[in-house]
Amino acid sequence: MGGTSSKLSKDLLSEYQELTFLTKQEILMAHKIFSELQDKENGPYGARVSMEKVLTLPELKSNPFRKRICQVFSTSDLKDGSLSFEDFLDLLSAFSDSATLEIKSHYAFRIFDFDDDGTLDARDLEKLVNSLTGETDDTRLTGEEMKQLIGNILEESDIDKDGTVNLSEFQHVISRSPDFVSSFKIVL
Amino acid sequence: MELREFNNQVHPSPDYPSPYSSQHSLRLRTGPTQDTSAVQFDWSSPPEDAEDSNEPQNLRELPLHMSLKRAVWQVQKMKVPVVSSSWNIKRSKTFHRFCEVAKYILSYFVLWNRGIQRIGGHFGGGVRSYFLFLRFLVILNFLSSLLIAAFVLIPSIVFRSMKFNSTIALTVNLNGTESCLHYDPKPDALMVFYTYFLDLVSGTGFMEYSYLFYGYYNNSKIESNGFSYNIPLAYLLTAAFYFLFCLICMIIRMGGTARLVVVTGGGAVGGYSMLVFTGWDHGLQGDRTTKLKQNNLRHRLQVDLEEERLKKKAASLTLGQTVSLYALRVFLNLVVLILIGAAFYGIAEATQFSQSRKTTGFVGLLLQYLPSMVITASNFVVPLLCDKIALLEKYSPSTTVILALLRAVFLRLVSLGVLLYTLWEQITCKGEINSGNCEPCSYYYDQYKCWETRVGQEMYKLTLFDFLITITTLILVEFPRRIVVDHCSCKLTQWVGRQEFLVAPNVLALVYSQTVVWTGALFCPLLPFINTIKFIFFFYCKKITLFQNCQPATRNFRSTTSNFFFLLVLLFGWMLSSVVLLYSVSKIHPSYGCGPFRIYPAMWEVVPEAVKMLSSSSKEFLFYIGSQKCSIPLFIFSCVLLCYVNVLTSVHGKSVALLRSQCKLEQRDKQFLVRQIEELNATMQNLHREPQQPLRETEPFYHTSPQWNQYNNYAFDPNEDPNPY
Repeated sequence: MGGTSSKLSKDLLSEYQELTFLTKQEILMAHKIFSELQDKENGPYGARVSMEKVLTLPELKSNPFRKRICQVFSTSDLKDGSLSFEDFLDLLSAFSDSATLEIKSHYAFRIFDFDDDGTLDARDLEKLVNSLTGETDDTRLTGEEMKQLIGNILEESDIDKDGTVNLSEFQHVISRSPDFVSSFKIVL
Repeated sequence: MELREFNNQVHPSPDYPSPYSSQHSLRLRTGPTQDTSAVQFDWSSPPEDAEDSNEPQNLRELPLHMSLKRAVWQVQKMKVPVVSSSWNIKRSKTFHRFCEVAKYILSYFVLWNRGIQRIGGHFGGGVRSYFLFLRFLVILNFLSSLLIAAFVLIPSIVFRSMKFNSTIALTVNLNGTESCLHYDPKPDALMVFYTYFLDLVSGTGFMEYSYLFYGYYNNSKIESNGFSYNIPLAYLLTAAFYFLFCLICMIIRMGGTARLVVVTGGGAVGGYSMLVFTGWDHGLQGDRTTKLKQNNLRHRLQVDLEEERLKKKAASLTLGQTVSLYALRVFLNLVVLILIGAAFYGIAEATQFSQSRKTTGFVGLLLQYLPSMVITASNFVVPLLCDKIALLEKYSPSTTVILALLRAVFLRLVSLGVLLYTLWEQITCKGEINSGNCEPCSYYYDQYKCWETRVGQEMYKLTLFDFLITITTLILVEFPRRIVVDHCSCKLTQWVGRQEFLVAPNVLALVYSQTVVWTGALFCPLLPFINTIKFIFFFYCKKITLFQNCQPATRNFRSTTSNFFFLLVLLFGWMLSSVVLLYSVSKIHPSYGCGPFRIYPAMWEVVPEAVKMLSSSSKEFLFYIGSQKCSIPLFIFSCVLLCYVNVLTSVHGKSVALLRSQCKLEQRDKQFLVRQIEELNATMQNLHREPQQPLRETEPFYHTSPQWNQYNNYAFDPNEDPNPY
């Protein structure tokens, strides 16, 4: 794992530059922020930062998908969404400026797949729409509208008509959007 | 075996990493014996290509966790022979590094890059597209003013200051037109201060006889020491090239946006899924902006869903209702046309009135600005009324928006056209240049001693007035509105609310300004430069008002299609001004007393004369290009090219449709096969429970049963050797 409170060695730095889309400055900044998060951590997992601590970052605090993002990038065996430094770098790399459309759409698909079954079915879509519009009762769409919306989405993007949206269909929709790459971005 | 190959085509083996399972991944909905309740999609096996290819794969593009990427990297390092290709790899790596650094540095040089990104983050794509459009116009105007300065302004200044004598002999036959030569705009030596200000604002007095307007330029043709420069020719060719340059820039930019429009299918197809999948902007920070964005998205979704319901309802109207609706719409369109016609009439009258009066002082200034005021007033009032009328027409929301835009565009550009037409009527006595007032000079000499300067002055006044109105609106309307809304909490102010930055009217204002500049560029060469400064001011003022006074729009603008639409409208403006240019260059007699074309019967005549002086081979070449021998084959060739490109487009479209239907077909086949396998499994299980079944029939199945049980879904395991059947 990456260095905790010590500085990053040059080899590790160049290795991370090789394996992610981040520049040297971005990796160093990520290291600094991650160390600050770790200092506040009191738990037994020295090298991992718990999900609650990660979600205190201003870039993630108000994102409605923050929990899913942590869960997708986490490599913890406990599936608790805690992130190691390398997970954190993976996260920043996928959300960086220079990441390709394929990587972004891949991770977007995984974030939207709330039940982790590899496809977006009607339940996933409903949770997705609720995250987009707001979770409180007065900000949700009505049941009628939700049904109409999900029906429309499946009609437009489910090419093979199996009732779910798989990764290729998802990427097909994304490829036609010119704004996706610039909106799927988190910069520290 | 067919099944395996079929499977590999349809489902490349799932190649996403997962920390949860290390076994080979299985697709969901596979074996019936699998426990479907604990389904976790396994993204773990490394992609097939990584083991097959020999080139160093781009590691960053693997959607794997860091530890797995590192493992792949180690494997690659071992595979790649160290000696031969290490130099290549190093070279490509340094090249990539260099590209990254260069891109990072260049992003600092793009004008206003960070400001526009910030605007996009807070207010969305529609407002951002307005500022991108503004930036495009600033750069266009700046480059044009450089062009004009280099070829017309600076030579004129140089030659005038060096007092070169004009070497054009006055060989033109002045048949009774000597009276037309008088032109004396030089101001009185003694001037009161306010006269100075009036002259600055209306382009008369000291401003009139300056480099700002056409009348100041001489028809000097300098020839000394083998260096020759023909100012009239330079003036005309610069104007022509300026128009061509603007056209090329616009077309290049339209090409880029058109490609996006075609790729995204016009933005209308896939609207819902696109909105839901790509609608969230992860760069937003803070609870307030997040809530705003969520409201925005919810509103958009609700509006779109409602529009769909309305469409369905509209499709189910009875005949009587449809007829009455259409009759209402026709009537309301007539009303709108009448309103617009009234506006045009008002503009024509105002122009005539202002041109024929000559009073000085403040009243004179107001009179001079009368056409501008009427145009601005009508551009404000008529769209407002049209919006109210549109509410009665009961179109769907998107159609209403498009219709309002079209009406506003029509109003703006044609009102400018009406102004120009009225001017033309006055200058050329309604086209009859041999009658009445236009008798000796072929234009209305008494009123227009130098008609080009007058036209230039009108365009200059329009530009200034537009600038003035925008700044005044900003200071006197938008800031007070925000202060009132923020501090006074009565119902009326809350209902009115904060200003919303409406993209479409602002863009149309920009298009209108740019059209005025294009129309006036021939008569007022410094107008592009003035416009550059004006648009730079606009950028900062609009940015300030956006952040201080405006709330994020509740209804978003579709940026890609609207970008294309804005450029299209700009193109219409360009066409209008090129008509003016062509007409004044070829048909109207230039003034006798001023300007670089004073001895020619039409401005165009400079070119044939210059061509006559070329060497004979160049002359022949030019004549050949212009002749029919060359132009007809060229025309035929371009038609052929157009047909070819069209055919290519339709072929691509057809292949896309074919691939889509192939996808559907393959999924149906897959479902059929899955059902088959389920049935076979079921039969097999039945056989296990009933061993009295004749052995022969079950033998082939019996051999394979351990294999069936071991690999939950044989058909989808690509590594197993084919045997059973």
